Amino acid sequence: MSIQEIKILVETGKSKKIAAAVQEALDAGAKAQEILDEMIASMGVVGDKFSTGEIFVPEMLIAAKTMSKGVEVLKPIMAGDSSSSLGTCIMGTVAGDLHDIGKNLVVMMLESSGFEMVDLGVDVPAERFVEAVKENDNVVLVACSGLLTTTMPALKEAVQTIKAALPEMKVIVGGAPVTPEYAQEIGADGYAPDAGSSATKAKEILGLA
Amino acid sequence: MIIIGEKINGTIPVVKEAIEKRDAAFIADRAIKQTEAGASFIDVCASTAPEYEIETLKWLMEVVQDATDTPLCIDSPNPRVIEAVFKYASKPGMLNSISEEGDKCEVLLPLMEGNSWEVVGLTCDNNGIPNDLETKMAITKSMVEKAAKFGVTPDRIHIDPCVMALSTENNSLLNFAAEIRAIKALYPTIHVTGAISNISFGLPVRSLLNKTCMAFAIQAGMDSAVMDPMNRDLMGTIYATYALLGKDRHCRKYSKAFRSGQIGPAGK
Repeated sequence: MSIQEIKILVETGKSKKIAAAVQEALDAGAKAQEILDEMIASMGVVGDKFSTGEIFVPEMLIAAKTMSKGVEVLKPIMAGDSSSSLGTCIMGTVAGDLHDIGKNLVVMMLESSGFEMVDLGVDVPAERFVEAVKENDNVVLVACSGLLTTTMPALKEAVQTIKAALPEMKVIVGGAPVTPEYAQEIGADGYAPDAGSSATKAKEILGLA
Repeated sequence: MIIIGEKINGTIPVVKEAIEKRDAAFIADRAIKQTEAGASFIDVCASTAPEYEIETLKWLMEVVQDATDTPLCIDSPNPRVIEAVFKYASKPGMLNSISEEGDKCEVLLPLMEGNSWEVVGLTCDNNGIPNDLETKMAITKSMVEKAAKFGVTPDRIHIDPCVMALSTENNSLLNFAAEIRAIKALYPTIHVTGAISNISFGLPVRSLLNKTCMAFAIQAGMDSAVMDPMNRDLMGTIYATYALLGKDRHCRKYSKAFRSGQIGPAGK
């Protein structure tokens, strides 16, 4: 099984075939890091296709699930090797807002692109984001989601509370009513219009793109 | 079918613009068209920044009430905003909404004592929308029991079991139907409502999924919906489903809706 084929399995979401394919590639001498990088690249393609409307939510979900099954095979081999991680990202939907679908999709896409994700869930008070940064190691990014026009002030409060406590921390925001202008106005470092482009944006603001 | 017309909501860009410009004619037109299309209630939701929400909602209520006699459905995620504008309603309508989140029940249910106001009850709590039937039923029971303390009977409550997106939950329709059946079994006179279009989030040709979901939901016992009454296809599906389920004797309503031009090809 070539690495190119693994890439296709991820892109097309063949979750039942991926584990065997990854194992086969390893047996044939491919490096775990190499396989992981290819799968991350595949998810980049998946994210782009989602953003342009070529594929849809269930197809993006199954691609991510496929990748995570492939990663499970690689984990024992790569254990202790943290060089493959882009760092930890704290994510949550802001206070007063119970929407989780969009947030879950972003968690999935950021995870698939190499971040360690800490999901705080929904209705997350501003201070909780700050606490989570302090409780976890190697946090490089905080992502805040807000889906209601009426919780946009909570999004602002979250960003400003994080920035006041941790001036160097990068913060990315998104959600249906959020615009790039609003993101800038409240002091966020970046805005992504959908889950597909969230990983690209996150890497861009961290200078990893 | 009880239809809660959803077209006056500040999250819709053209409505947002009309609100900002205080374009009363635009809002009134939407109220009249929804009434003509068969709306039982006209939902009004400001979706502005919190500091302007009360004055905006009051304005929307005045414009809609000047334009039609259809009762209002006062919609805000903040119960205190609903409480503040409640007195501007010229007659009983619907409050949208209570849930077990925060103190929504405690703020809104007292407003419904001794009148005929109705209310939407969402099956969510401080932890969000539960995934399982048991928790949704527990929330429903708790809301109904709290309502009873203010003399609000189940027939004045529209439970919204919060249908999930099919794209992320493969059994979302099956779960929704099971929830509708369980709620109706426990409280036969209660209404079950929902914003059906959630089901098609993240998938192409959403209208196909919305219409088919509507038919299954009606069969399960849903008798109220938060929807666009000007959507002829969806309205047609409702009439067709009632007829197919034997709930429209001699298909009279279906035939009448066709003759009046409410369903079928547009422009008739």
